Amino acid sequence: MIVVPKLIGAIRDLRIPTVPSQWLCTLGLSVLLVTLPFVIRFDGHSHADWLQFLGRFHPLLVHLPIGMLVLLPILDIIGTTRPELREAAGFVLHLTLATAAITLVLGVLLAYGSGVTGATVSRHMWGGIALLIELMVWVTLRPMWISGQLQQAYPVLLTVTLITLTWTAHQGGSLTHGSNYLTRYMPEPLKQFFPSAAAASDAAYVGSAYMRNIHPILDAKCVACHGASKVQAGLRLDFYELLMKGGKDGAVVAPRDPDRSLLLQRVTLSPSDRHFMPAEGRTPLTADEIAALRAWIQAGASAAATMIPGIATTARATDLLPQPVADYSSLMNEILQMQRSGGAKLIPVSAKPSDGLILRTIDVASKFDDAQLAGFQRFAPFIVEAELGRTAVTDACFDTLSKFTNLRALHLEGTAVTGLSLEKLASLSQLTYLNLIGTKVTSNAVAPLNGMPNLHHLYLFDTPAEAAFASSNSSLRSRQ
Amino acid sequence: MKQHPLCTDCENPVTPLDLPIAAAVKREWVALETRRRFLGRSGKVLGWAALAGLFGEMGLRRFAGGTDLPLALADGHAALGLPHFAPKAKRAIYLFMSGGPPQMDLFDYKPNLATQFNKDMPDSIRGNQQLTGMTAGQAHFPVAPSHWPFGQHGRTGTWVSSLLPYTAQMVDDLTIIKTTNTDAINHEPAIMLMNTGSMNAGKPCLGAWLAYGLGSMNDNLPTFIVLQTKTNPKENNQPVSSRLWSSGFLSSEYAGVSLRSGADPVLYLADPAGMDRDVRRKMLDTVEQINRQTLAEIGDPETNSRIAQYEMAFRMQSSVPELVDLTKEPQSTWDLYGPGAKQPGTFAYNCLLARRMAERGVRFTQIYKRGWDVHGDVVGVLPALCRETDRGTYALVTDLKRRGLLDDTLVIWAGEFGRTVYSQGGLTEDNYGRDHHPRCFTTWMAGGGVRPGMTHGETDDYSYNVVKDPVHVRDFNATILYCLGIDHHKFTYKFQGLDQKLTSPVPAHVVQGLLA
Repeated sequence: MIVVPKLIGAIRDLRIPTVPSQWLCTLGLSVLLVTLPFVIRFDGHSHADWLQFLGRFHPLLVHLPIGMLVLLPILDIIGTTRPELREAAGFVLHLTLATAAITLVLGVLLAYGSGVTGATVSRHMWGGIALLIELMVWVTLRPMWISGQLQQAYPVLLTVTLITLTWTAHQGGSLTHGSNYLTRYMPEPLKQFFPSAAAASDAAYVGSAYMRNIHPILDAKCVACHGASKVQAGLRLDFYELLMKGGKDGAVVAPRDPDRSLLLQRVTLSPSDRHFMPAEGRTPLTADEIAALRAWIQAGASAAATMIPGIATTARATDLLPQPVADYSSLMNEILQMQRSGGAKLIPVSAKPSDGLILRTIDVASKFDDAQLAGFQRFAPFIVEAELGRTAVTDACFDTLSKFTNLRALHLEGTAVTGLSLEKLASLSQLTYLNLIGTKVTSNAVAPLNGMPNLHHLYLFDTPAEAAFASSNSSLRSRQ
Repeated sequence: MKQHPLCTDCENPVTPLDLPIAAAVKREWVALETRRRFLGRSGKVLGWAALAGLFGEMGLRRFAGGTDLPLALADGHAALGLPHFAPKAKRAIYLFMSGGPPQMDLFDYKPNLATQFNKDMPDSIRGNQQLTGMTAGQAHFPVAPSHWPFGQHGRTGTWVSSLLPYTAQMVDDLTIIKTTNTDAINHEPAIMLMNTGSMNAGKPCLGAWLAYGLGSMNDNLPTFIVLQTKTNPKENNQPVSSRLWSSGFLSSEYAGVSLRSGADPVLYLADPAGMDRDVRRKMLDTVEQINRQTLAEIGDPETNSRIAQYEMAFRMQSSVPELVDLTKEPQSTWDLYGPGAKQPGTFAYNCLLARRMAERGVRFTQIYKRGWDVHGDVVGVLPALCRETDRGTYALVTDLKRRGLLDDTLVIWAGEFGRTVYSQGGLTEDNYGRDHHPRCFTTWMAGGGVRPGMTHGETDDYSYNVVKDPVHVRDFNATILYCLGIDHHKFTYKFQGLDQKLTSPVPAHVVQGLLA
């Protein structure tokens, strides 16, 4: 704390151009600053409340030196034509130094008091120290620059200081908002230049309930303060092993005992409780998220388990996300005309052309045959659903249908298809729904569908294949 | 000569300045009425008009979509741009349990109530609620625990009353909402709110909104069909009226078409003896000509609806007999729906018809079952109600599922409100009555768009107040629209100066927790 009056004294002294003593003072203070982190060690424990109370003014005060530091070069540049501004710049510089010093002290109090550690915290602190030293050098150099010396050194110092400022401020921002705050909503093409924008994850557990349901919750709500960059209370939640290890208060997850798991206790406290998490007014967990955590812990908090009772994963979760199809707008004239002509229709799935078209035959089903279906080939890439139920199509239809590359749902219920050449559908990688009820397909005929990993909804009710299907332990799913 | 106070073309015209108006207003009037201001304003108006012309509808569309053609749907739905996004459900079937089923006797299991038998419900639970005239005068509010045992069912271990043995078998397919709540405590306002989003008559119902917004999926059957279940005279049947399937301020062609619950679902559908289809066709063509003349003379859009309805009726002459001809249904259907389904007008029969309509491209089917208004003799009446509906309901969902229809059909089961935990009238060891209860009641959905095998929301120990995750009727309706690809905020119709919508002007939210 004695640093502050000393610095203020130093600033006052700087007005007298006794160069050697100024340099000495700057050097001495710099050494003091650099040793500061070694004197006050961040041990990961929280300390007296008043330290944190004062420390929490750090994010408030920090904007003063930032603003003034940005103002300085502007004043100096305009000062070349308006000398009174250059004079003001000197005053602003001193003020910047003073507020920066106070901010640094508060920052140290905040980190020490709250027991936060982590790489970003260290970087932010060193950035602050470097900035303060640079400011002192600047204060020392400025009178020389005014008097016409050091014309090259001054702009260099200015640039270095501004770069340090930007870097330090970014570290601070990452501490407050999370390290991916800037990149999270970045347009995809830009993201490739920032490999860190892709969320870190336990690659080993891909596909598990933990990765699917639990990790995203922790990542969104907890990792900003309990992650690699900022480690509050020694607890990190960004990796499974670290989550299970716990923090300074011990383990936070008690497998099969959600009520005794600190993790769950903290997020379910009353929001006014001082131990409530997420702290400091960050978005609390939703009821669904809490329920998912509870269910996961109840089930043993395993990283590898793929299904957790109580967490709705549902077969639908494994369904493909619909692939956008190309824009059919240029064919719209034709499509509208077809809708009016009383034959089979192409109906937009939604107002978005990329959602594709539905081939609807319901009003002309009995007359709709393979030849008519072939007539729709030119729309093939846009058709995502073909409603051919109770039409007159036969096994020949699969030749045409195999060209409907974006087909997701195919209705053939009540048609004359027997399943011969059903294997031609195998090329339809998007197909998730196939309805063959009331047809004559046999279990042999549907066997080739086994190889279609995305075909989650296959309906064989009232077909010869149904019985064989129910009894055989095929890898094909007859609906969940 | 005495002149009229507001005469303007007489000798001494009276200006508004002579009228008894506050001086401040007059000053403002004088300040505004300058030539300069008039010219300035006119110039601006013309400028805006020109700009609007330049960026007119087609211009904007070309600008936004790269095409000057409407992007979605024929048949006059083009301008609506619906569905807003790819829907999970194409159609919906709404099983409406008119009267208000008692949630604590069916789904909302409260085992602790057994110890509260005949004790007064604490005042703190009821708060300052205004009760209906039927129980407001009661000196006591004795807790009536459910008469029937509950059991856990399905993979999810959901509690269901023993009154619903069939529904219990499909709980893993259901999305049960225990915290549906409404604003109204009496039947008519509550059932209107549930169906139209407003307690007052005159608003379109859910089905009419869907018919208007999404249009028909077939040419031969109405977009929106209402089926009524034959009443059981032993039950307390509240009336349901065509207000509930009215199209309100929308064109009447979007109103629900109600089929009769008898053997003849549409009266006079068959042509009389001696009249063949051609003669009928000729007659209709002439009627249409006359109607078109009327339309040209008067310009009432309802004439258009009438023309459309004549045409629909003509097509229904062949489509409805086919729809209700159940002779081709396989034995597996009767095994599933039970023998009651062979009898026209029963709930199971209507459920079977609903499945057949789903297959034939009917967008929205609503089945009304009356009689759930169990003010007294719950123990006597409720088992009958459950027997009448339980199997049909189960059969419908199961049938849709095995036929691959449940993926894109949303099934909804709801009444207009719930019932009180305290007994209306006398509570005895083996019987009780229950009054209307708007604060919480159980509903469920299944199929396209909703997450199967879950229970949403919690009620307090008395099944009286919502403890967690309330779902207001408006939220309920917003969620239904969402499943059908509609953003309820954007789905509006301008009427009486308002952008009217199903979810009414009060804010409503899609309940994300219910979605798949």
